[in-house]
Amino acid sequence: MPKHDTPMMDELEKGPWPSFVSDLKRQAEKSPQCWDILGQMELSFKDRITHWKHGGIVGVFGYGGGIVGRYSDVPDKFPGVAHFHTVRLNQPSSKFYSTEMLRKVCDLWEKRGSGMTNMHGSTGDLVLLGTRTEELEPLFYDLTHDLNWDLGGSGSNLRTPSCCLGKARCEWACYDTQAACHTMTMHYQDEIHRPAFPYKFKFKFSGCANDCVAAAARSDLATIGTWRDKIRINQDEVKKYISGENKQNGGGVDDSFGKFDIQKDVIDLCPTGCMWMEDDELKIDDAECTRCMHCINIMPKALRPGTDTGATIMMGAKAPILDGAQLGTMIVPFIKMDPENDFEELVDIIEKVWDWWMENGKNRERLGETMQRVGLPTFLRVMEIEPIPQHVKEPRTNPYVFWREEEVEGGWDRDIKEFRKRHAM
Amino acid sequence: MALSMEELKAAILEKAMKSPKPQLYVKDFYACDPDTKPRMIKKAANELVTEGKLVFWSSGSTTMYAAKGRAKDEEDRGT
Repeated sequence: MPKHDTPMMDELEKGPWPSFVSDLKRQAEKSPQCWDILGQMELSFKDRITHWKHGGIVGVFGYGGGIVGRYSDVPDKFPGVAHFHTVRLNQPSSKFYSTEMLRKVCDLWEKRGSGMTNMHGSTGDLVLLGTRTEELEPLFYDLTHDLNWDLGGSGSNLRTPSCCLGKARCEWACYDTQAACHTMTMHYQDEIHRPAFPYKFKFKFSGCANDCVAAAARSDLATIGTWRDKIRINQDEVKKYISGENKQNGGGVDDSFGKFDIQKDVIDLCPTGCMWMEDDELKIDDAECTRCMHCINIMPKALRPGTDTGATIMMGAKAPILDGAQLGTMIVPFIKMDPENDFEELVDIIEKVWDWWMENGKNRERLGETMQRVGLPTFLRVMEIEPIPQHVKEPRTNPYVFWREEEVEGGWDRDIKEFRKRHAM
Repeated sequence: MALSMEELKAAILEKAMKSPKPQLYVKDFYACDPDTKPRMIKKAANELVTEGKLVFWSSGSTTMYAAKGRAKDEEDRGT
């Protein structure tokens, strides 16, 4: 029996799509506080302002993340949501759950919280929506002791690392993304659970440049699979694509896409123009290839990534909270990703950038903003990386010469007129 | 010369008690000992939380530290 009149919320049940309002009403039969969520949202629609407040001194003992405090600013009207804290659970790599575990989480959450979930938060956590402060410690005890499950990251912590399906499902994965994600999650438990940084920091692991977890767009440190030898070409399969025997995109496009044309659909779309046809064979100048995956996506039977695989590290991406959205910048062109040595090369890069950012980042400044403030040449010096043309978007029009004083004979105070006598402009 | 862990914790706690702002970023504690690396400062601040002398205050996206009793808490305001 509804506790509040919610005519505006009810409108959201009338479309052809699944409705969270219907879900809330169904859940409210078991968890009456869900009626107050509906009531408060109706009031927010009417007042055109949120009635949630977030933040505060909530959490579980010894942890500085994983719980986000949330309160109603009209608790007298909606006492069921006076406290409505969010709990983030660290998802397993690639979000591979057993149904048994999901049932256990749902049972626990109905016992200790509202039963409402969000699958998943944008960092990948399994998000449990709505509980009271006094339920947090018992929930955490049951979660860690009975389910062997832990909280994810929030606040100025390392956020829960996430990865694509990797080698579990994908032949293009250039390294074991699940192993990397799990290893980093275990290695950096302290950074996930206790605040360490000027602001949030995110890792994401994609097995190739298709970047199925959008690491290049959403993580401060994106580890994206690549290779440094040649694309493997099967010329017989190339011919079958040209003849129409093989379907482009693995059959993933319908006839409205038009007949496959290797010149139009592959060669002309190569961002570096490194492909051509010669004597009925597809040729690739691999030195010019940027490993974007486009040609491989179109002709998966004919083209495959090379075999000398590893990862490119991009840094500085973020969503638009403060200064607008920013894509990651390629910083390290290639490292080997070796589970046998616990991804030692990656750990060295992570710790070098953290040490610098912890000292130089301003409060509430993401790594990408700090990089932008100091400039890429300075950042590359910090990372002890020699600039290469691939660090520059347009190396032929932007010479990218930033001499330092010690590199210039005579320094900044040299007699420029005397110099120009010998070196005319 | 860098402070010992106990000296560092005392300096951090003093700053948290006396600062005009009740809530401080971890970076605000760096000045307690310029010779100590940020990671050690963070470790000392987190030990003080474990000892119950500091508390975390989190907005969800940012986390700050406060001396116990100094930070405003929504629950103390009757919500």
